[in-house]
Amino acid sequence: MNAKEINFAYRVRHALNENLDQLPAATGSRLAAARQLALSRKKPDTGRRVLLPRLAAAHGSDGAGFFSRPVSWLGRMSVALPVVIVFASLVGMYQAEKRQHIVDLAEIDAMVLTDELPLNAYLDHGFNAYLAQQGE
Amino acid sequence: MASDKELSDFLQSVERRAFKQAAFAVRRDESALDIVQDAMIKLAEKYGDKPAAELPLLFQRILQNTIHDYFRREKVRNTWVTLFSGLRGNADDSDQYDVLETFEAEEGSMAAESSEDKVSRDQVLNAIDDEVQKLPGRQREAFLLRYWQDMDVAETAAIMGCSEGSVKTHCSRATHTLAHALKSRGIRL
Repeated sequence: MNAKEINFAYRVRHALNENLDQLPAATGSRLAAARQLALSRKKPDTGRRVLLPRLAAAHGSDGAGFFSRPVSWLGRMSVALPVVIVFASLVGMYQAEKRQHIVDLAEIDAMVLTDELPLNAYLDHGFNAYLAQQGE
Repeated sequence: MASDKELSDFLQSVERRAFKQAAFAVRRDESALDIVQDAMIKLAEKYGDKPAAELPLLFQRILQNTIHDYFRREKVRNTWVTLFSGLRGNADDSDQYDVLETFEAEEGSMAAESSEDKVSRDQVLNAIDDEVQKLPGRQREAFLLRYWQDMDVAETAAIMGCSEGSVKTHCSRATHTLAHALKSRGIRL
């Protein structure tokens, strides 16, 4: 929009604003009543109003916050340390299980290579069929 | 978070403009008052804990949505009215629905203002009101949000749910239409 159009638009705006003063008194009072009704239903700010007094009461009235005190580091560590321990334990268990699986596979491979198969292997029908097929 | 006083001051500062905005759209003062009341209550109930700086944009969105809801309800109501009047048959021709017949200007509303005295300031202002009301809906919405409610192009586009280019086009067309209409009525701003 060029400057001429914008000037025109703002003149219309001025006229509209002037016209607002001519609204009937009944309309004005109805709007005021609507405003009061809306204010009576205003959403309460639950989070901040409830939390702040509780924190202030827990640490006296000197206004110091929970995390600004030296003891708060112990509080943080009391949460962080168990989490780290649990995580490290899970990683260790995973590594141990993985290593055990590799060892088991290596033992089976070694038995096959040295022809030290257990007797049960020869009782298995599937294994016998496999040997017959290999013999042909 | 907006305090009670901030919310009250904000609502007081916008209520008259919001009423006129709704009246321009729905053309009935009583319905416009209901719409503004609904919008105020929705703002207070749902967004009363928002910072005061966010209130203007939120309120405009709520107001526009409430106006659109009004039109949806009217459409449904008119559908049922038409359906039942069709069921009654053509026994009485005078019962046929005619928008022009049912539309009556309310006492004290803009439509009821006479235009006898062309030279008085009040009549000029009313003529401008009339012409703004006659604008196509989207053009009027964009024009009022941009130049009356002081929204920028991006905010207006967000409220109207269209692109910024569309907002500029609507505003430009509204300005030209208004200028042409006022000029044809012998009004110069």
